[in-house]
Amino acid sequence: MTLPVGSGPLAGVKVLDLSWIVAGPTVGRAMADFGATVIRVESPTRVDTARVVGPFHGDEPGIEHSGLYGNVNAGKWGLTLNLRVPEAQEIFRQLARWADIVSESFTAEVLARWQLDYEHLRQLKPELIMLSSTLLGQTGPYNQVSGFGSQGAGMAGVQYLAGWADRPPAGPFGPYTDYPAPRFALTALLAALDHRNRTGEGVYIDQAQAEGTLQLLAPALIDYKNGGPPLERRGNDDPQMCPHGVFPCLASEGRSESWVAIAVADDVQWRELAQLIGADASYSSDQRMQRKSEVEASVAAWTSTRASAEVEQALQSKGISAHVVSTTEDAANDPQLAHRSHFRRLPHSLHGETVIEGPRYILSDAPVEPTRPAPQYGEHNELILKELLGLSDEQIQDLAASGALS
Amino acid sequence: MLSPYRVVDLTDERGVLAGQMLADLGADVIQVEPPGGSTGRGVAPFFADRAQESIYWAAYTRGKRGVTCNLEDPRGRDLLFGLLETADFLIESSDVGRMAALGLSYESLHERFPRLIYTSISAFGQTGPKADYVGSDLAIWAAGTPLLMTGDDDRPPIRVSQPQSWGHASGDAAGGSMLALHARHQTGRGQHVDVSAQVSAAQATLGQVLAYQLGAVEPERFGGGVKIRGQGIRGTADVLDGHIVLMMAPGPAVGHFANHAIKWLVDSGAAEPALLEEDMVTYADRAAVGQADPELFPRIQHLMRDRVARTTKQEMLQVSIDYDLLLAPVLTLVDLGESRQLEHREFWNEIEHADGRRVTYPGPPLKILVDDQPFGHNRRPPPELGQHNVEVYGEVGLSEAQIQQLRSEGVL
Repeated sequence: MTLPVGSGPLAGVKVLDLSWIVAGPTVGRAMADFGATVIRVESPTRVDTARVVGPFHGDEPGIEHSGLYGNVNAGKWGLTLNLRVPEAQEIFRQLARWADIVSESFTAEVLARWQLDYEHLRQLKPELIMLSSTLLGQTGPYNQVSGFGSQGAGMAGVQYLAGWADRPPAGPFGPYTDYPAPRFALTALLAALDHRNRTGEGVYIDQAQAEGTLQLLAPALIDYKNGGPPLERRGNDDPQMCPHGVFPCLASEGRSESWVAIAVADDVQWRELAQLIGADASYSSDQRMQRKSEVEASVAAWTSTRASAEVEQALQSKGISAHVVSTTEDAANDPQLAHRSHFRRLPHSLHGETVIEGPRYILSDAPVEPTRPAPQYGEHNELILKELLGLSDEQIQDLAASGALS
Repeated sequence: MLSPYRVVDLTDERGVLAGQMLADLGADVIQVEPPGGSTGRGVAPFFADRAQESIYWAAYTRGKRGVTCNLEDPRGRDLLFGLLETADFLIESSDVGRMAALGLSYESLHERFPRLIYTSISAFGQTGPKADYVGSDLAIWAAGTPLLMTGDDDRPPIRVSQPQSWGHASGDAAGGSMLALHARHQTGRGQHVDVSAQVSAAQATLGQVLAYQLGAVEPERFGGGVKIRGQGIRGTADVLDGHIVLMMAPGPAVGHFANHAIKWLVDSGAAEPALLEEDMVTYADRAAVGQADPELFPRIQHLMRDRVARTTKQEMLQVSIDYDLLLAPVLTLVDLGESRQLEHREFWNEIEHADGRRVTYPGPPLKILVDDQPFGHNRRPPPELGQHNVEVYGEVGLSEAQIQQLRSEGVL
């Protein structure tokens, strides 16, 4: 017996997704988009934090209202299991036998206590592919550090590197290690799947989300580790571009502020910009760097009397990189995102309709049409337990009575 | 794992990480540069002892082989076609339209190499009203919406000081390419993978990019924390030698961490034992109906800030583990360089460059077991300009004399 099979490059691939919040679920979402059958397992006893942070439908907090949860779990089948209960562990083992890929993000060593870690699961199924994704990895003196990507941002250096030189670190928005990590995990899982299909060999992936994020800081790390100075936060300054920053614009009605991002890459672009704003076009790159305050003040004086969209148009038409610093309302109305059908509206049994992001890439020959929103708690328990695992109504009742499904 | 596959990597600084991700998983990745070198070789920072050598370029070409090829010359394009005969992937990140101008569009290459997976990385995507926009790290971060959410509320929004946008897009390019490989197993055909860095950047918003369309409030920036309904909430705290990330809140998802924090405060003598009776999981609900003191939680926060101010980052990391708190040190690059965790996981790798220098690199992003055996780390140093011309073009049938001839004519 089986669940309905999807369509796309991963049709028929079976994924058991025990991860939570963002880093892990994002990986499962991508696989579901492209046809994999993904069962998302969660326990209402330990609420997934993604369910209790916004953005919420209608700005009303609630565990079935979270747009974040919806965005990273769309297209999955939902099962509730409390793995502390032995009966739930047995269900988990059955599902691990069913799955090609198991994805989990428990604190290191937790699954081992229940004999559900890779060592034990590969006894059941040697060709299993498994991803364990935590902030700092499965091994090492600090493998027991748990928490969210906000802590991860601190431990991956990126919190320290976002901010003004004369102020404490501001940090990036949200749990930053959750953003790079799924890219590395998805790529490796798909490579593992390809390898297993060719060789029959199983693969285990130990992901430290911080180490994935450090890949995006690699130039600064290499510089420091090889005798250079440690990079410090520097607002929007760039070592090679000036002007380079975020400049104030006229705020439209109902808004308190408006900004435009401008990056001038070379002297040709500067000459174009200088003519537009009435600045000294003869300044070389070095001169602009030396007179950064003066140069950037002249840009700000010009932008501050104009609407940000007008500045974007004016500069882009001259070949200068500029963009409105978009609000989420701007993104909703962005013709480029609309052109890519980036935002997808799906019918939703509680909200009438919900909105999710489309995939992060467009494949010319594998279009993605998400059709199902993220599961509500236990939405597919019966389907999975009955149709997939062949349990009787009585057995399911017993499971529920044992606490395995809560 | 990807050893059967070859990648022809035409990217510049904008997409250069994508091929490395595939190289670290075992693919044979050939970085192709113009004879004068990629523009990526001009991107800061530069090695302290060699002012002309880009660390940025080295960082993301580690693990690849390198050749030169003048794609503006028809003989150069013939060389590229030779490489593509043996390739599974082509990855490029040039300005939209440039590949087509060279006669190397997806459509024309797909006709000639129907199994080739052709991945394009650009700021806004290959088509659409902004496809021709000039991209930059800052403009992409602005267009994807994370920029407005980041920074102190009394100053302009800010980016991360080591540019991030193209890294996210490159990561998506690697994943999208792998999806196309699985599609090829089904259909026998390659396809075009179109990555928009703007869309990739939207990942860095914790789903807030959807706020307006869901009827939620616009997120607002607040340095070192978040702002909710105009109210700034600090998510960081000062310690003796820097800062920590400190999250403490009541509620069903994270209230138990606040309970753990209370236990530490009591154990360390910073709070009265009576506080152990309080349950932060249910506190918010109780406070809302007048069954808990609304001043209690703010007081606990205050006690916590006072207590951590007398500790160090390292001490708090240990407390975080011992008591299971939502707390972590804000590590500097110096701290990362000395991290016992990274050292234990053998994160730093010394790699010998072609000129004999030993350079320390961050390790591969994942620890992988294949059939329960450690998957070997790709220790190939970044290629010098054209370093593998003879080797790679030799593999597709060119003699050394032919290669010499092409080099003298400026094709290589």
